[in-house]
Amino acid sequence: MIKGAVAIFKRDFKKFLSNPFVILMTLFMPIMYLVIFGNAVGGTITHIPLGVVQEEPYNDYTPLYTASLHDLKTLAQKDYPRTFDVAVYNDEQKAKRDLQEGIIKGVMVFPSPVSRDHAVRLYVDSSDYATPGLIQAGVQTVLARSGATNPVQIDKIYGEIKYIQFFGVGVIVMAIFMTTMFGGGIALIRDRELGIIEGYLVTPVKRSSIILGMIGSGTVRAFLAGFTIFLVDLLITGIVIQSAEDYLLVLLVLFITSLGVTSLMVSIASRFTNQQEYSSVAAFFSLILFMTSGAFYPTIGMPDWLRWITTVNPEYYAVDALRSIILRGQGINVIGTDLVALLIFSGAAILLGIFTYRRTLE
Amino acid sequence: MEPQTYDGDGFTPGKTAADAGVRDPSEGSQGPREHSIRIRHLTKVFQSKMKTVRAVDDISFDVDRGEIFGLLGPNGAGKSTLIRILTTLLQPTSGSAYVDRYEITQDPEKIRSIIGVCPQNSTLDVELTAYDNLEFYGKLVNVDDRLLDARIWELLEMTGLTDRAHLRVQTFSGGMKRKLEIVRAFIHQPLILFLDEPTIGLDPESRREVWEQIIRLNQEDTTIILTTHYMDEAEKLCHHIAFVDRGRLVTLDTPDNLKQTIPTGDLIEIGFASMDDRLLPEIRTNDQINSAEIRNSTIFISAKNGSGVLPAIVSLLARYSIPMRSISIRPPSLEDVFIYLTGKNLEEGTGGESRTPPGGHRR
Repeated sequence: MIKGAVAIFKRDFKKFLSNPFVILMTLFMPIMYLVIFGNAVGGTITHIPLGVVQEEPYNDYTPLYTASLHDLKTLAQKDYPRTFDVAVYNDEQKAKRDLQEGIIKGVMVFPSPVSRDHAVRLYVDSSDYATPGLIQAGVQTVLARSGATNPVQIDKIYGEIKYIQFFGVGVIVMAIFMTTMFGGGIALIRDRELGIIEGYLVTPVKRSSIILGMIGSGTVRAFLAGFTIFLVDLLITGIVIQSAEDYLLVLLVLFITSLGVTSLMVSIASRFTNQQEYSSVAAFFSLILFMTSGAFYPTIGMPDWLRWITTVNPEYYAVDALRSIILRGQGINVIGTDLVALLIFSGAAILLGIFTYRRTLE
Repeated sequence: MEPQTYDGDGFTPGKTAADAGVRDPSEGSQGPREHSIRIRHLTKVFQSKMKTVRAVDDISFDVDRGEIFGLLGPNGAGKSTLIRILTTLLQPTSGSAYVDRYEITQDPEKIRSIIGVCPQNSTLDVELTAYDNLEFYGKLVNVDDRLLDARIWELLEMTGLTDRAHLRVQTFSGGMKRKLEIVRAFIHQPLILFLDEPTIGLDPESRREVWEQIIRLNQEDTTIILTTHYMDEAEKLCHHIAFVDRGRLVTLDTPDNLKQTIPTGDLIEIGFASMDDRLLPEIRTNDQINSAEIRNSTIFISAKNGSGVLPAIVSLLARYSIPMRSISIRPPSLEDVFIYLTGKNLEEGTGGESRTPPGGHRR
């Protein structure tokens, strides 16, 4: 019995040692979790963009306004940079528009009469999971410090948004990534291992047809996965999409993302002949892209170096676009930047996928 | 391991490709149209950090239109590499080859549309049904959509798989899969069909069925290139056979002519229990006997007229009081020819660049 166990132990260990790349990756993963997850979630949020405006008609800045503005600008937690990046507006409507478009996270409207009864109105972007509470707390601290007893009237512009609703949008994007990176990529490598791809090569079918077919099928698969999770997400979280236009926009974002991610996967998978090695790399990519996408936690809470990753992370743009449409009911004017970023990513990924896979086929 | 060679005694290494005479493919002797395949000085060198392997080493030969051509050799002889070059999967290091009228490096796309390939390792999609596999492949090789369905059923009929058309291939036996794969390679009625070890790992029954299949396909005027390391298979099917060993063409001829390569009539094998050292020299004095040697408690004798010399040998053994366990006498097989020409057994396998068997005839 011992002899057999030792033999199996030895065999397993030899196989384990024979692939240093996989060992490295498996050790690397937990470290990445520590560094990225630890930094991406629960960081102290600072530099929250906050609009400040005094209500019409105003003749002059009230003392409350002046004192509060100064305090808001300098408010900071101990050892941290200032909490708010204050933008001063002269026009309440303009401030609210910027809030809608996500340029600022909150608008604080001061009453124009000098009075202790007039309410200070606070509008917050409630689709952002973390900032409304911080803004509210900050505003109340500042008012208390200046001795004002004016009531604060809070308006969550998107209503009460629960964390699950905030997070659910990220899961839709995650579905696209998972289906593609794991389902699609591993199937592709298995086909290569089994010689099925080589079987294509002795037929007159064009190299470009092979790649096109692979990207096409992968895109549709990823899209269906994303769409299914989108519907499930609506059911579970009880979000109601307002218009048909919003539905179409969601589908558009899902499609462009699926196309880009599939092409990227084809490109990565073309560099690997070993399923295990591919899986560990795919897991790494999934992790780093998902963590920095803002799906879990607003990217505003991340340290700068992680935010740099965010700016080149297609998942970030996909999550941001979907959140704008699904949670805020915003249209193409707001998600335009996200769409452009996604299109650039997809275009680059398609070129990369065709180029690298072609080289593998030659 | 003991070298399996026919030793000494007037035996010289067999003909090389260069003096195989009749079918020597000297340049420009015939136009490419009369041959399905024309290969000239084809060489493929694999280079890695550790070593350089000449998997195909200066091979030249022709394949006639409409014949079944056998490529024989042990594992690692370079057969599959040669097939991969001819089917445009690999670029040769040097030399040239025409498949039909197209040069392999210049018109690979043209070649791909006139060949059918059944690779050594199955490339069937086992998660799809037999019908789906054929349909998919049919579309890849541009079979007319209007004809495809009828063609698929015709092929399924041919393989006797009609009733399994809509079952997943993973439920099939090894023989069924192989037959399906062979007809799949044939779905577009290619001019030339490459079969790389079509019967490897099959039971005798399935092998016979695959052979019948191959003969049937050949009757449709298809040239068939077949690699195998089964001698009986080559003997049964092939019109011409090329022996390949260590990347080189050893000889090329018809099976009948090949068998006459050995300057002996018959092979006699006598098993014994104990041996007397004086016996062997005594046997060799008989001028009808070409060679005699002892391996593994067996005397191997090759003689011009086996049944004529056998009584003399038996009485010789009786004189030395050597008890016999078995006697067999048989005409030489292709296997014997191969051993005679290369100095090694077909099943042995070499891995291309590996050791030289002591006493082996190296070229």
